[in-house]
Amino acid sequence: MFKKLLVANRGTIAIRIIRACRELGIPTLSVYSTADKDALHVRMADESVCIGPPAAEDSYLSIPSILSAALTYGADAVHPGYGFLSENGDFAEACQRSGLQFVGPRARHIRLMGDKPRARRIMKRAGVPVLPGSDGKGVTELRDALADAKRLGFPVLIKAAAGGGGKGMRIVRDAKELERLFPVARAESEAAFSSRTMYLEKYLEHARHVEFQIVADNFRNVIHLGERDCSIQRRHQKVIEESPCPVLTPRLREKMGKAAVRAAEVVGYSNVGTVEFLLAPNGEFYFIEMNTRIQVEHGVTEMVTGIDLVKESIRLAQGEPLKLKQRQVTFSGSAIEFRIYAEDPDRHIPSPGIVSSHHPPGGLGVRVETALYDGYRVPVHYDPLIAKLIVHSDSRELTMVRARAALREYLVDGIRTNIPLHLKILHDPDFIRGDYSTGFLKRYEPPSNRRPVEPPAAKAS
Amino acid sequence: MEVREIKALIALMSDHGLVELEIEDKKGKIRLVRGGVAHAVETNSVAPATAKPAARRSRAPEPSAELSRDGAAKPLELGENQRIIESPMVGTFYRASAPDAVPFVEEGATVRKGQTVCIIEAMKMMNEIEAPFAGRIVRILVENAQPVEYGQALMIMEVG
Repeated sequence: MFKKLLVANRGTIAIRIIRACRELGIPTLSVYSTADKDALHVRMADESVCIGPPAAEDSYLSIPSILSAALTYGADAVHPGYGFLSENGDFAEACQRSGLQFVGPRARHIRLMGDKPRARRIMKRAGVPVLPGSDGKGVTELRDALADAKRLGFPVLIKAAAGGGGKGMRIVRDAKELERLFPVARAESEAAFSSRTMYLEKYLEHARHVEFQIVADNFRNVIHLGERDCSIQRRHQKVIEESPCPVLTPRLREKMGKAAVRAAEVVGYSNVGTVEFLLAPNGEFYFIEMNTRIQVEHGVTEMVTGIDLVKESIRLAQGEPLKLKQRQVTFSGSAIEFRIYAEDPDRHIPSPGIVSSHHPPGGLGVRVETALYDGYRVPVHYDPLIAKLIVHSDSRELTMVRARAALREYLVDGIRTNIPLHLKILHDPDFIRGDYSTGFLKRYEPPSNRRPVEPPAAKAS
Repeated sequence: MEVREIKALIALMSDHGLVELEIEDKKGKIRLVRGGVAHAVETNSVAPATAKPAARRSRAPEPSAELSRDGAAKPLELGENQRIIESPMVGTFYRASAPDAVPFVEEGATVRKGQTVCIIEAMKMMNEIEAPFAGRIVRILVENAQPVEYGQALMIMEVG
């Protein structure tokens, strides 16, 4: 059992980790920047240490500051949560070298899956289907990108080899557009990941984003906990996630689940992770990438399986074996998660400020994960995700009814949120039928924000 | 002025979000500066009037009522020409270069600008903390070998 666990994160996931530790009886040490001195995670942890100024590079992303806090205050484990240092191989390695157990996979697995072209090669060799795309180590020059695009046929997706979070990603529909947008995407990748290496993938129209949660112990046992459909995205950022995926048949679920397990097995992965696929309308599916951490939307899987994924990640990091076999995993009902962002719902721009009153919804099957409280100031320095509403019931129909009621009940005064957008989506006939793909949210995009380079999804190929 | 009255003033300040309060009457003069606000001047390693408690303890997940109260740490009484030396990092505070060595400074010592006054050990690295200006060390606020956080007050210095 860990003696003390340092929570290397803030906001909703820091709260989530602290709660899991309480159930396990592990004392917690939270770290915070000066902008977060009034944050809830600082209050909830057993101990809290200020590690730096507001800029994330000098606090939540500062490896020396976090390790120094862990060593000075006697922690023996570090949970990175999601974002910040969660997918930084150097951080995982530095933890191990300092005698701290990193709650997550080994550093080499983080690095391997972080190198997207390399992950593609390994998956292809293991028989996991991947989209047609750039071979080898990726491309840095426009003429190589053009050659790849010609071979694949337009439209293609430009992606950053070190990518994540939609940065450095562009859809292009002809050579002219590629010439214009390849340098832009490469510059974005260079700024975000200090990497000029890009790769191209065939762009699939009307595809759904369906990901599988996997759980693995240190003894090469791997199981999956079913899927989450995360197709409701805006600019490659997820907004709504649900499980089960409304169009997945039991046969397809089994096939995709097996592919996800194989993806983790071939590299000897351990701890929790997510294998992301694109699902085409014809039922073909393709590996996109693997996320080597707990996901924002892990709560959806928790509701339908009854398994506490954060506790599981800590247990596995302590070297405990998996308790469940694949056939013992059962799924019950339907869960949908709504990400509540501090943003202007009409213009989609961030809306930080003081939350004068916060009244979350409640009742059977209604779960709110948040670090908000009355009088809390949403800082300008970090992610605008302020709450996650996760609704669960026996059927997708009832879950949607319950979600509409819960969203109407949810009051956040003082700042603006995207709750009105969620309500619009919940009344959209296509969403209600479960008939949607990754292009769905374009219909709710304010006209001024619409990118001319990405025509509406309705234009079929 | 009685302690009771000062307490009432402090409560009033936090209720109305006041950072500084100066009152003069027949009985005398009092100036109160509330802590927790020093972070407004992050660019400067020497910030006024705040001492932060070492590793804040808060066992219970008390809801919002408590949250608004504790925003400010206990204020340090500072004279007009006194300044605080804050820790620029999280780590362990040492007053000397080795366990048996003579401390860099004692209370009352006069120091040059740039003179080492203590060490913060972080990640096995010894970081020398220098006096930000010439003056006198009035008080040393942290015990030797104690953990300190970013921004924690280490010493009070007097200009001159």
